[in-house]
Amino acid sequence: MTAAAPRPAQQTRRSLRTETLEARPVNLDGFVEEWPEKGLVAMESDFDPQPSVRVEDGVITELDGRSRADFDFMDSFIADHAIDVATTEASMALPSVQIARMLIDPGVSRAEVIAVTRGLTPAKVLDVVKLMNVVEIMQGMQKMRARRTPANQAHSTSARDNPLQVAVDAAEGALRGFAELETTLGVVRYAPLVAIALQVGGQVGRGGVLTQCALEEATELELGMRGITAYAETISIYGTESVFVDGDDTPWSKTFLASAYASRGIKMRFTSGTGSEVQMGNAEGRSMLYLEIRCILMAKGAGVQGLQNGSISCIGVPGAVPGGIRAVAAENLVASMMDLECASGNDQSFSHSAMRRTARMLPQLLPGTDFVCSGYSAVPNSDNMFAGSNFDTDDYDDWNTIQRDLQVDGGLRHVREPEILAVRAKAARVLQALFEYLELPRITDDEVEAATYANSSNDYPFRDVLADLTGAQQVMDRGVTGLDLVRGLEATGFHDVAENLLTVLRQRVSGDLLQTAAVLTADFTPLSAINDANDYAGPGTGYRLQGERWEELKKLRHVTSATDPETEVD
Amino acid sequence: MSDRLVVGVDIGNSTTEACLALVGPGGAVTHLGTALTRTTGVKGTPASTRGALTAVGRVLAAAGRRPHELDRVLLNEATPVISGLAMETITETVITESTMIGHNPATPGGEGLGVGTTVSVLDLAEHPVAEPAVVVVPPGWDFDDVAAALNAAAARGVPVVAAVLAGDDAVLVTNRLVHPVPVVDEVSAVEKVPLGMRAAVEVAAPGRTIRTLSNTYGIATVFELDPDQTRQVSPVARALTGNRSAVVVRTPAGDVTDRRIPVGVLELRGEVRTTKVDVDAGAEAIMAALARVQPLRDAHGEPGTHVGGMLAAVRDTMADTMGDGPGGSDAADCAIRDVLAVDTFVPAEVRGGLAGEITLENAVGLAAMVRTSRSRMQAVAAQVAAELGAEAVIGGVEGEMAVLGALTTPGTRAPVVVVDLGGGSTDAASLSADGVCTAVHVAGAGELVTKLVDSELALDDREVAELVKRWPLAKVESFFHVRHEDGTVQFFDQPLPAHVFARVVVLGPEGPVPIGTRHGLDAVRRVRREAKRRVFVVNTLRALRQVAPDGDLRRLDFVVLLGGSALDFEIPDLVADALAEHGVVCGTGNVLGDQGPRNAVASGLVAAHARGAVRAGGTA
Amino acid sequence: MTTLDAPAERTLTLRETGPATRGTRPDEVVIAVSPAFGDPFTQTIVGVPHAEVLRQLMAGIEEQGVGVRVVRVWGTADLAAVSHIAARLSGSGVSVGLLSRGTAMIHQKDLPRLSNLELFPQSPLLDAPVFRAIGSNAAQYAKGQSPQPVPTRNDQMARPRWQAKAALLHLKEFECIRADAGPVELEVTISR
Repeated sequence: MTAAAPRPAQQTRRSLRTETLEARPVNLDGFVEEWPEKGLVAMESDFDPQPSVRVEDGVITELDGRSRADFDFMDSFIADHAIDVATTEASMALPSVQIARMLIDPGVSRAEVIAVTRGLTPAKVLDVVKLMNVVEIMQGMQKMRARRTPANQAHSTSARDNPLQVAVDAAEGALRGFAELETTLGVVRYAPLVAIALQVGGQVGRGGVLTQCALEEATELELGMRGITAYAETISIYGTESVFVDGDDTPWSKTFLASAYASRGIKMRFTSGTGSEVQMGNAEGRSMLYLEIRCILMAKGAGVQGLQNGSISCIGVPGAVPGGIRAVAAENLVASMMDLECASGNDQSFSHSAMRRTARMLPQLLPGTDFVCSGYSAVPNSDNMFAGSNFDTDDYDDWNTIQRDLQVDGGLRHVREPEILAVRAKAARVLQALFEYLELPRITDDEVEAATYANSSNDYPFRDVLADLTGAQQVMDRGVTGLDLVRGLEATGFHDVAENLLTVLRQRVSGDLLQTAAVLTADFTPLSAINDANDYAGPGTGYRLQGERWEELKKLRHVTSATDPETEVD
Repeated sequence: MSDRLVVGVDIGNSTTEACLALVGPGGAVTHLGTALTRTTGVKGTPASTRGALTAVGRVLAAAGRRPHELDRVLLNEATPVISGLAMETITETVITESTMIGHNPATPGGEGLGVGTTVSVLDLAEHPVAEPAVVVVPPGWDFDDVAAALNAAAARGVPVVAAVLAGDDAVLVTNRLVHPVPVVDEVSAVEKVPLGMRAAVEVAAPGRTIRTLSNTYGIATVFELDPDQTRQVSPVARALTGNRSAVVVRTPAGDVTDRRIPVGVLELRGEVRTTKVDVDAGAEAIMAALARVQPLRDAHGEPGTHVGGMLAAVRDTMADTMGDGPGGSDAADCAIRDVLAVDTFVPAEVRGGLAGEITLENAVGLAAMVRTSRSRMQAVAAQVAAELGAEAVIGGVEGEMAVLGALTTPGTRAPVVVVDLGGGSTDAASLSADGVCTAVHVAGAGELVTKLVDSELALDDREVAELVKRWPLAKVESFFHVRHEDGTVQFFDQPLPAHVFARVVVLGPEGPVPIGTRHGLDAVRRVRREAKRRVFVVNTLRALRQVAPDGDLRRLDFVVLLGGSALDFEIPDLVADALAEHGVVCGTGNVLGDQGPRNAVASGLVAAHARGAVRAGGTA
Repeated sequence: MTTLDAPAERTLTLRETGPATRGTRPDEVVIAVSPAFGDPFTQTIVGVPHAEVLRQLMAGIEEQGVGVRVVRVWGTADLAAVSHIAARLSGSGVSVGLLSRGTAMIHQKDLPRLSNLELFPQSPLLDAPVFRAIGSNAAQYAKGQSPQPVPTRNDQMARPRWQAKAALLHLKEFECIRADAGPVELEVTISR
């Protein structure tokens, strides 16, 4: 008897090169053949409807080949709320290629394009973008994004839901340039402490950063109403009625939720993305992009100011079919051309290949979007509680280098270590003082020291989770609000952080953050499509990376000095 | 003179309580409300000021009053208490030379006793026909193939008498044998089973236990041992008692030993004499040694042990706490004043085990307490006075105030004794008929109970242990009904959540919480009650003996239970039952007729003030 | 005989023996397979043969001394629905539901359809030992015991690798649904 594996009778000789290529990370990714009948196709499908519209007495009675009697609730919602009835017939009569030309023609203003797109049906919009290759899509994005100045968003989470880590990494992320920060939890009961940590840490890094905590919708709304978060994003919408209903929702229920936020002056956006419907087995035979365009129009009809899209957590699905990443770029463009703020994906683990991860984000980085990433991981991916992002802290220097190589502004900058250490230490001390003020479990000096120099959650001492959870419950029971945090920060001597947080909270009264694509600058000026409108009109116009900002982005970790080549630029 | 608004504030180890009242010129008291909050910092140090102010703020707000209306704040003479506890395992079970497998897997196969020579399944094809075989199967073998191998050997004429498997396949294999034999499975370190040795495998029928291998003479018969050898195998038989299955291998020097782990000496220094006791001698020996040197002046453990480390840490924490006060820290003030030793069990993996056997090793849990005579309440009083703009006075000794508060319970009068069942310490105070008050504090209370529950149930989860301590148990028998620990059944209209199905649960305030333990409900209940008994009943008796006249419990009439742990659903009954044997009437206090066992000291401060017993001026 | 290497390929034959009936013995687990299980699909998303999946599930149940029946649900490819139909057919009320790509679930008849006792949603992470443990746990629930839930692995790179293939397999399985056919009892033969 033997214990060895049987050897095949004859072994064919293999190419050494093939073996090398087989071992490449890209071959660990998943790729599938298209199946258009089932919707497993990015954007080129014979089964997508033909564009059409009919208006009778100011009401749309036919939409993309379907008459009102056969509308599902997405059709109804889009027909009644999203499409501009007054202009639709005229806009639909324009040849798609003409509209596509308008998108890339620098001589046609954004406003002129919007005047046309507001009257288009989903199938017509698809028809237009199908004519555009990825370069043209990027060209269109450059003009159509809502806010002139591009920005970026990050995740700050912890595998142990350690609020100290969330605060400190939020501070560093804000310092590096993120304008929005997002967190979520493994253990939901930790939410109050982690949300507080994110908000306070963010304000330490840079006053004016906006924060959100992704949770079940009722809890998320409550935290927002209390002023413990500044905005909300993870309110999901879907492209088919069946998938929407599977999640116990309708376009109207989502709109109601959106208005609840608006009534409190809290910024919010919806989330959608190609691939979700076919993943749930209910694409109704439509292409991924067609269904996503329905989502985008539904969002427009609801009246929300913006949308997070770019496939988001379903990125593995378009990523597996031909032209998928082109479709993802197209969906960002469509959001922008429907005059919505676009937080453009790049936020979920997508590939084993570093080259592919980079290629995926160029269509957003190069033209610039309202938020190039809707979730760059400002913590190592092992700590990322959104199941991993396309980029994490390990990629900071690469990102900054690409900005410098191509002279594009991706919202980030290199920061020297002493500044990072200082802001991390300060965030830790602020949270320590605030926890004591709120009678929450102590943060020790050892923890503060560890936090300053840490990389991941493994570098922090363990906290007493039981005591933290009891404290978190007390925060909710005692009705702690953002103003209590302001009082606490003031009482513990951190006047500047208190002032920052109070100013962010005050925005609810002014309502400026409800405008399209609104963020706050470091001196608390709201920057939105109203006062920072994208005025791109060809070479030499629009947002350019130049001047002081360009000087800032020229800095990297190691740059040899020209004045003294034996040293590096500080 | 009009009514004066006063507030009594009791800064305790874990909670700070306030009692607001109007005191009339003739001493009449009108109670306006109570409040409680978590104590900030260590009780009796300036850090605890904030908690005091919070409690005062809350009780004023609830009564619709403002701070400026306050005439006086009455603070208790709170001296810091630092408590600590440690667990030391004192026995260790060691199996040498892989002589025994006793992990009692859930699904052994076959039934009966098989005696033969150990042989690996890999070598089975060459095994001689005459020799009975106990087949040992390493991981990675499919159960179909194992059965085929055993059947083939048996067909060849080899007497296959038993099998020992790495995988969880005993039933699968026996179901496929032409001649079923006893099979023990889930032996994770099966490669350590010595081959070529005489071995016996025994499996009992479901619901029964083995008879031969758990009997010293049974083993002697099987292996034809002489009397000296028989004596040596006795620990093996003992270790296998109660098992449904077992394997014994006759190795030259193999045995099972129960070692005592030396964990050092505990030195107890009393007023008059000092004594040393080995920690591994057990709780009874330690408490007996303590009794011999009472009153305790200090205790030291062996450096490098858990107990030694804990005692040093407790002392250091007190030194740090007192160090910032007037006069610096003084060694005499940071002394251990009481210890409580409790016998307990810690599940531990057996050394040399072949299948990850777990056994309950003996352990000693030790709680210790440091008290200081000096107080930093002056600083607290000054800060409180400044913040509130009212006079702040430190009134009375703690014990005395607790008794006065307890006496607001309907149905009580002096002489009376109160027992305060807290989180870190258990305290007793007595008030004699002529107004003499005595107070004592002993180590060991709620936290020690939680630790015992956590350890003995091998939960490794303080949150769940805390829940098990506080709330009753039930077994979820279906999605629509549970059986409570008292045997009654409760039905539900809505199905229970999926994660509690078939589990033993704690009926907590937010719904049933499953307990991650293999033990049945009765075992968990037993552990819970025993832990409470070993801590609170023992300590109540210890404390009462120190305040009872001549240490005679029978001379006590009324005992009133106070404190957070007096709210527990069974502790007061356990204590009352134990005291009833001594003819003592014991019940849970009902301060002010509606506060239950809480707020005694704060209410007592107000009562004392009303009697004019509190000296003005803030001197201690 | 070589047994320490990969097991020799086994074949799975599933023969319909009639409509599935409600069981009476309280000590049984019902395994329900989806419309495309075994035919046309013969392995899970990561290539574990369906013969091995069923064999390990049934072995886990048998080791606990509990009986097993296997049925096929024709009317749906939704895992929760497949599992819950089986739970209602099972004498103990406990079932294991199985999709062709490997996704599995332990269900119980009194639970809401969308709930479960244990869920194994990441089909790429399920291998033979996990299926054995699933069968073992289901049998223990059937006996009224409370086993430790089978530990679930997590793989952040599962999405890039398997998300689309899972969608594809899901769509294929959907095509095999026979909406008007009820669940049927299966006779399982696994042979080398």
